[in-house]
Amino acid sequence: MARPASRAASRNGRSRPAAARTTKKATGRARAQARPAPAEKKRQPPPPPADMRRAAAPAPATGEARSKYVYCVIESEKPLRFGPLGLGAEPSEVTTVNFRDLAAVVSDTPREVIDATRENILAHERVNEAVMRNHTVIPMSFGTVFKTRDDIVELLRAAYEAFTDVLQKMRDKLEFGLKVLWDRDQIVREIEKDDENVRRLKDEISSQSGSTYFARMQYGRMVDTALEVMAERYVGAIFEALRPVSTASRGNKPIGEKMIMNAAFLVTRDQENAFDARVKEIGARFDTLTLKYTGPWPPYNFVNIRLKLERAQGSE
Amino acid sequence: MPVERTAGGTSLIDVLDRVLDKGIVIDAWVRVSLVGIDLITVEARVVVASIDTYLKYSEAVGQVAPVARPVEMPRSSDSLLAENVALRSQLAANESAAAGRRARRRR
Repeated sequence: MARPASRAASRNGRSRPAAARTTKKATGRARAQARPAPAEKKRQPPPPPADMRRAAAPAPATGEARSKYVYCVIESEKPLRFGPLGLGAEPSEVTTVNFRDLAAVVSDTPREVIDATRENILAHERVNEAVMRNHTVIPMSFGTVFKTRDDIVELLRAAYEAFTDVLQKMRDKLEFGLKVLWDRDQIVREIEKDDENVRRLKDEISSQSGSTYFARMQYGRMVDTALEVMAERYVGAIFEALRPVSTASRGNKPIGEKMIMNAAFLVTRDQENAFDARVKEIGARFDTLTLKYTGPWPPYNFVNIRLKLERAQGSE
Repeated sequence: MPVERTAGGTSLIDVLDRVLDKGIVIDAWVRVSLVGIDLITVEARVVVASIDTYLKYSEAVGQVAPVARPVEMPRSSDSLLAENVALRSQLAANESAAAGRRARRRR
């Protein structure tokens, strides 16, 4: 810190008046102060003094200089290890932070905001899927880093009731995704074939006798309505067919013109095969539809726990 | 068309659909500040703002049209009528119970 400031001072000392000298000095000092900050961000320095009192508590050998990325919350009284599956160029060891019978599944990570890159997002999901094989999970949304292990224990303590309750509700349940797409043009052709009114309008338009503006408007409206009715009929039938083999379902907004259904189903483990068979039946029954069937997923679509930061009581 | 199930983590779009704002969610700005702050020294803590679980069998609403338009509902009109009857009888029961209470109070 002393070097740039003194250099500025000596250079100024010879030629500049006092006023200029002080400003130069000030910038020199500001620069010197600003310098350590980026370095701190890049390389983790040893724990700063603020951490000292925490260091008195038994800290694991990995050290508190690294933060913890949280993947999900599960039920476990014992610490667990899931192997090198986590975020990082070299996949980090996935372990747990425990509080009573709850465990947060975590891995060490540098103390910085995690970018939502393809690798990171897939690693988040990979860990959730691995943990899910033998545990009921409440998935964490992507990108949550806590500074220390103690902060996670604090979270588990604060949200203990909520987590326990939700884990109970999600016990042995898996999520499956089902997106249904259709070939819109093909369906329109079918509508033109089957619907007499639509067919008549279409003939009228193509015969080009006089203005076709109103005929075209009416045709468009009729086709839209027919498409809507058909989509609803398909979607209704599919939900109806899956209802007996699932616990819950949620319909999300379809994405794009081809998609008519974008749903998630919550299925108990013992109904997984039945659900699977039913989806395949649906695929066979509606051969004009394309089904995108994914899973098992952690129950992302069926749990929403929002956390916020609050000033601790008695800190005024 | 034969349907194959694909594992969750194989499609980035499907993963993104889920991991960004579902499950346990911490506000974006809190997420950023969590990285830097020492929760215990600033005497802040993370608390639950809301919990929602979705355990109903809910069918998709307004799948294709953003606005619900009246469309023919061949099957559900029967169930609507049935529901109507049930509600009416419930209403009648409530009314008679209320009348009973009023009568008792008058006495």
